[in-house]
Amino acid sequence: MVGSAALGRRILTVYVPLALFLVFLLLPFYWMIVVSLKPPTDLFNLRFNPFLIQHFTPKNYLYLFQETAFLVWAKNTLIVSVAATTLALSCSVLIGYALARLRFPGGSAMGVGIFLAYLVPPTLLFLPLAQVVAKLHLYNTYWALIFTYPTFLIPFGSWLLMGYFRTIPREIEECALIDGSSRLGTLFKIVLPLSLPGILSAAIFSFTLSWNEFLYALIFMSSGPLKTIPVGTVSDLIKADVLFWGPLMASALLGSVPIAVIYTFFVDHYVSGLTAGAVKG
Amino acid sequence: MAKARKGWRAHGERSVRKGAPGISRRALLKAAGTGALGLTALGTVPGLWRWGAAAPAQLKGTSLSILQATYFIPAAQDLYKKQAQEWGQVQGVTVNTDFLNWPDLQPKISAAIQAGGYDIVELFPGWNYLYAENLVDLTDLAEAVAKKGGGWEGFVANDIKVNGRYLGVSHGNSNDSLNYRISWLKEVGVNLPDPAEQARTGKFLDLTFDEWFALGKKLKAKGRPLGQALGHSLGDPGSFCYPYMWSNGAMEVEKDGKTIAFNKPMFVDAMKRFIQAYKDGFDETGPSWDDSSNNKAFHAGQISMTLNGSSIYAVALKDFPEIAKDMNHTLIPKGPTGRFSLLGARTFGILKNSKNVAGAREFLAWWFDDKQYGDWIHIQGGYQLPSTKKWAKDPMWGKDPKMYAFSLQPSIGRDQGWAGPPNAKSGLAFSKYIIVDTFAKAVQSGDAAGSIKWGADQLQAIYGG
Amino acid sequence: MPDLHPAAARPEPLSAGRRGATYPRSLLEREPSLGLLLMLPGTLLLVIFMAYPFFLGLWLSLTDSMIGHPGRYVGLQNFVHLLGDSIFRQTARNTFVYALVTVPFKLMLGLGLALVLNTAIPFRNAIRAGVLMPFIVPTALSSLGWLMLFDPIFSPFSWLLKHWGLITRNINFLGTPVLAIVSVMVANIWRGTPFFAITILAGLQAVPAELHDAAAIDGAGAWQRFWNVTVPIILGVMLVSTLFSIIMTFADFQLIYVLTKGGPANETHIFGTYAYQIGLSATAIGQGAAIALYMFPILAVLAILLLRYLRREVA
Repeated sequence: MVGSAALGRRILTVYVPLALFLVFLLLPFYWMIVVSLKPPTDLFNLRFNPFLIQHFTPKNYLYLFQETAFLVWAKNTLIVSVAATTLALSCSVLIGYALARLRFPGGSAMGVGIFLAYLVPPTLLFLPLAQVVAKLHLYNTYWALIFTYPTFLIPFGSWLLMGYFRTIPREIEECALIDGSSRLGTLFKIVLPLSLPGILSAAIFSFTLSWNEFLYALIFMSSGPLKTIPVGTVSDLIKADVLFWGPLMASALLGSVPIAVIYTFFVDHYVSGLTAGAVKG
Repeated sequence: MAKARKGWRAHGERSVRKGAPGISRRALLKAAGTGALGLTALGTVPGLWRWGAAAPAQLKGTSLSILQATYFIPAAQDLYKKQAQEWGQVQGVTVNTDFLNWPDLQPKISAAIQAGGYDIVELFPGWNYLYAENLVDLTDLAEAVAKKGGGWEGFVANDIKVNGRYLGVSHGNSNDSLNYRISWLKEVGVNLPDPAEQARTGKFLDLTFDEWFALGKKLKAKGRPLGQALGHSLGDPGSFCYPYMWSNGAMEVEKDGKTIAFNKPMFVDAMKRFIQAYKDGFDETGPSWDDSSNNKAFHAGQISMTLNGSSIYAVALKDFPEIAKDMNHTLIPKGPTGRFSLLGARTFGILKNSKNVAGAREFLAWWFDDKQYGDWIHIQGGYQLPSTKKWAKDPMWGKDPKMYAFSLQPSIGRDQGWAGPPNAKSGLAFSKYIIVDTFAKAVQSGDAAGSIKWGADQLQAIYGG
Repeated sequence: MPDLHPAAARPEPLSAGRRGATYPRSLLEREPSLGLLLMLPGTLLLVIFMAYPFFLGLWLSLTDSMIGHPGRYVGLQNFVHLLGDSIFRQTARNTFVYALVTVPFKLMLGLGLALVLNTAIPFRNAIRAGVLMPFIVPTALSSLGWLMLFDPIFSPFSWLLKHWGLITRNINFLGTPVLAIVSVMVANIWRGTPFFAITILAGLQAVPAELHDAAAIDGAGAWQRFWNVTVPIILGVMLVSTLFSIIMTFADFQLIYVLTKGGPANETHIFGTYAYQIGLSATAIGQGAAIALYMFPILAVLAILLLRYLRREVA
């Protein structure tokens, strides 16, 4: 029964589609890698096969480290992403727990409100937001992004964690409460440790969005060395009507490496965190 | 709702008050005026420049933030940074210079107007009008710069005066002219001036649009078409579409700034010729081209002629020496009603909500002195068109005869909105790409009259409303 | 499925036993006060950095404000004016086409990819992380990669097809009326599919294997098992990710801004890019806000439909 027919079917239903998906989703990256390893004169030479590297050069990567402040951008991006993720996650844990477990006035309305916050496009928000940021004297500081990124991180995080908290049997908590533990005590000592996969998922998700954000980073923090990777790349590697394609692509790829590594290690946790939070909730 | 409104207004008012804490406007003007005079004398001695007694003492310990677009010539960007630092050191002012990708400049200025953070901003053509209420009146300074420079070039004069006041001082604009491949044009029988002779005698390849189109047909037959961007992009699409409209008897509005003069039979005919020519002589992918597309195409030998700044040439000198040897520049072709170039002025303006208006004025007065500004112009080797007339005769133009055509460009420059005055409405028409989209629609649909009618309706809504 | 109405969803308050044992001692122990207290930090952030600027934006849309020039209240004039603006009508049409075409594609492809990833394949983790790449790389930069792929002259796709002799002239991906929006949609589908795949994959992992086995023993074919066992369980997560995706697609900006800025001839303008063009480039911030807000009621209706569905499902 388990023979070549089954294998054939498996190739047809799993491997062929998988190969097609991989080509579609990864071809642009293959392209970016090729571009980042070519000299500019080869890039627009139509006699060359654009998918192959004719003259390999590491110059685009060297340029990134020698002629631009790439490492500073990376440091800025890391600080902002870690801090914004931590802040957003802390808020999301509390909100998620309150919405999942506690009965309080206005609770359901607030839940809807947080969900609706997702509907407000940043292109509408950013000018009024610039005023708020300026009034609070956050302009051109890390805080400008650390405080504004949570606005698009908290809705998803709260939703995910709310679902996750619901999967934790209520009885465990109740036992602890009867044993004299305080409400907050149970949250931190019992619920949180049990929810680590969900928290990890929310953290990875938030970190990715913070790492990639462009508009707020451009408007609120782009002075001097205070640039994130996307903003620094675009503002320093595009000179009027000439784009430095090699370094641009090198920067895009290098800037994504840390996140790609995180995903490779944690992708299973990420998925299982989503499973419990988003599905079983 | 009412509360929100109050907050919004209150902020605007406060920004204005913040403009000059404790100093009367009169005192400011005076300080800047004397400063400008003082530096003319001293500024000519390199390295020895110091402020005289006129320098306001309160500058020391302040800070100054300058925002502008990235430079195509990196050396010029570095020079500007260095100049600003030098001035800062002498003055005891902390100077910060930020350079942004062109399309990102405007949102950043808008945010700075709402929220502060910058003192001096670079303004693209028309922006003096858009941000008129938020810019400091620099009439005295601008007039001093113009006087010293033998008067503004034509394209500058109209562009930066808003209601009779100068809201910024123009540094000129980057250049734009027709780039062509010498050998390929010779192949199809064009009689070309020798580059060296060109600069000496003032001769240049003088084409009408119809001649250009005919040339395109021949060149495309050899697989080397003309290239013209028609997408949504700030530079190249407009620099063909506006002049072609003007050269064929049409404009957005008459001189009165109200009467739409776009849907003219002569222009419709010209558009029909362009539609045909686009098929026959151009690379037809132009509607998706942005400002960088023709640079790439020219360097790859895919097109033989295109309108662009000298950035193509500068990159060729570095990366494609064969092409640099085989290329030259000429003015944009002319039409029945003349030869025009879309060329507004880029300016440095001071935001009213700046906390250091005095310092910003001092800096601009210093920077626009011949020494600083001259160095900055020279290092760009003609890529940057100077704003005042005296530079037209600068020996810089003779250095590379292939750059000669660019020195002729300021004289044919016109602003957005011409023949009407440039203002917020012409700025809106430009931002909405009405003229460019009329051309894009025309080549896509083949319907000259319909596209021009669409454009005229759009313009009516902007200028009539 | 999570619902957003805990009060409605929860069958009963915390057990009576606890109530008897611990009488509310302090703010931190009483549910109403503790609930509000826990909501406070996040809500505060959202109010200051989202709700307040949102209401400012709402107010702006009712004025004739320009940037740096506080305007007068003009009621719904901006909204009415836009209805008469042919570019806006085109923008609205484009946005609907953009969202309504890409979202089903992203959903279907995401579902397919999730099903494949849910099987035992070699290098599973690496492949799972790999397919997430489009979601990982900053859109501002990956869009530049697409800009090169769609280049009118140097597109490697055109090169390849020419090389194989399938075409003689380059494909003008971003410069022809229908193809332009198709091209930006392809890039959008590329960027959005991984999000669907990974959330649906999470849903698939919740499907108990025993159910499948039982159905198989009952003689159900693969398709029947998928339809009757898998789909009911992942339906909720599919709906939620669809809604998120519709919202993100409607509010998209970066991708189109990099690729076409709404051109050629406005054929790829969507609400986000047009609002940006009018509100920022032309500085008519009041009108720009109105454009951005036009999408709000559409999205709100979708959101409310979804919330109602979720509530019903729990009830």
